[in-house]
Amino acid sequence: METKEYLALLKQSIINLDFDGAVKVANKAMEAGVDPYLAINEGMVPGMAVVGDKFEKGEYFLSELVVAAEVMKEGLAVITPYLKKDVSKKIGKVVIATVEGDYHDIGKNIVTSLLRIQGFEVVDLGTDVPTDKIIAAVNEHQPDIVAMSALLNLTMIKMGETIEALKAAKLREKVKVIVGGTSLTDEFAQKIGADHCAADAFEGVKKCLKWVTHQERRN
Amino acid sequence: MAEMTPRERIMAVSHKKRADKLPFFHQWTHCHTGWAERECRNRGMGLFWRRPGWRVTVHDVEITEKYTVVETGPVIRRTYVTPVGTVYEDEKRDPGVGQWHAERSWKDKAPCLTEHPIKGPEDYKVMKYIAEHTEYTTDYFPVEQAKEWLGEDGIVVDVHAHQPIQMLMLDWIGTRGGRFFIHHAKYPDLVEDLCQAISKSRESLYEIQAKSPAEFVWLADNVDSVLDNPRFFEKYLMPEYEKMAKVFHKHGKLFAVHMDGRVNNLKHLIARTPIDIIEALTSPPMGDLPIGEALSVWKDKVVWSGFPGSVYVLGPEATKKHALNLLRNVIPGDRLAIEMSTENLVSNENLTMLTSILENADLPLTEEKIDRIAASLS
Repeated sequence: METKEYLALLKQSIINLDFDGAVKVANKAMEAGVDPYLAINEGMVPGMAVVGDKFEKGEYFLSELVVAAEVMKEGLAVITPYLKKDVSKKIGKVVIATVEGDYHDIGKNIVTSLLRIQGFEVVDLGTDVPTDKIIAAVNEHQPDIVAMSALLNLTMIKMGETIEALKAAKLREKVKVIVGGTSLTDEFAQKIGADHCAADAFEGVKKCLKWVTHQERRN
Repeated sequence: MAEMTPRERIMAVSHKKRADKLPFFHQWTHCHTGWAERECRNRGMGLFWRRPGWRVTVHDVEITEKYTVVETGPVIRRTYVTPVGTVYEDEKRDPGVGQWHAERSWKDKAPCLTEHPIKGPEDYKVMKYIAEHTEYTTDYFPVEQAKEWLGEDGIVVDVHAHQPIQMLMLDWIGTRGGRFFIHHAKYPDLVEDLCQAISKSRESLYEIQAKSPAEFVWLADNVDSVLDNPRFFEKYLMPEYEKMAKVFHKHGKLFAVHMDGRVNNLKHLIARTPIDIIEALTSPPMGDLPIGEALSVWKDKVVWSGFPGSVYVLGPEATKKHALNLLRNVIPGDRLAIEMSTENLVSNENLTMLTSILENADLPLTEEKIDRIAASLS
């Protein structure tokens, strides 16, 4: 089998949400000597892009997005050991968290997966993350972007608290802040001083990409 | 015509008849007691009480609870020991749980499972054993008690937890890390087999609820198209609604289902269900289906609409603006009742503001009547 056929099969395994297929083809491709970067960037990533298109067109839903990201993760687990470590240039860094009191993580996890696929380094702090832990992570990792998620009305106010804490720690000017979650509105995001309220995972990631590419041009 | 009581209004609307005013009521779960609650109830706000008319017994399963501290903090670990294996779940309880009502925290947050009993494929047989050894028996006392207490002040519904597939998704497997969706893709046979076992075990419960002294059976399904996409809704949720409604309707019960999420892309499927009342439908910006549109798509259904908490967060002026827009959106206001909240407690200021609008919402609603309400508040 030729390289392009392996790449097509890898792509298709993501689109078909086929766990076994992704792992099997990834193994065979690596055994056949397919370049692991090609396998990822011209096999799996385009597959994920098709899944994204289908999601935007309403043909696929969030559950399919979650499964596609997991299929990709299992395929990547096969391919990653074949990668050389020094070539993985990151386009930006994001600290992401579901705020304190909130355990919902589907949206956050999707955003995390999509950001990583796009080449971001993502520091995922998990769910129910207290404000001081987010501030500590920003201090430690110096990200370009802080992303916060909340589903509950009770917990979305924690996003505002975190932004205030970023200001108090003189970190607000150093990062862009993006927020997301079902209950959130642009009005609320504006009120708490966030830079952007993500309409959905894809739109949020596009915004992050714009921010870092703009930074790159500026730098 | 004598003014209707809160209960009469809700009953009229729920049977698709016109009430004298738009019914509005608070869920007991989210209703704090105090001056604002008393004032609003004196001005026509009804109450909605959820009570089970049944008890559950799980046979041949040892269930223990212990307080333990895990990486994320203190939890109550509940362990289920069965002859075919053992599973556990972790429950986080915020301060206040068990100290006032409805197992809510001081800030009105329900206990939350931080670890669900099904973690891997080996756990399915344990939960199937539990489902098959679960027995439901009649106990109408809680319903009769609440009906007696409420009288004409509101209504009581016989409560039912999530339906089988929702129970798997939200309670037994969980969506954290996408686990339910990953299991559903990887182990479809296990998921479907367990779903069927739960459905079978629920058949006796449906019969008990159908004969309840409550006029309504209410299912806490938490439907949201983000989790329950249209293909999934049609394949799993709809057949169970049909199964339940068949039993409930035979005994004259109205069947209400809690759909508090984004349901716009489920609206045509929901229209095909035998559900009588779509409960907790939340208007944009929290939901994605305007109430007026929902009423026009669901011509044979009644909506009990939940007022969006994300509007309350912005304060009483935002509450007023949203409520007036909502009224204009639903003219003439038939087949509709408004719930003050289906999520959390409501501040005194927001509660009184909303009451000031809804207490004057005489039916049928017209633009002129709504203009008058707006003028009275300015």
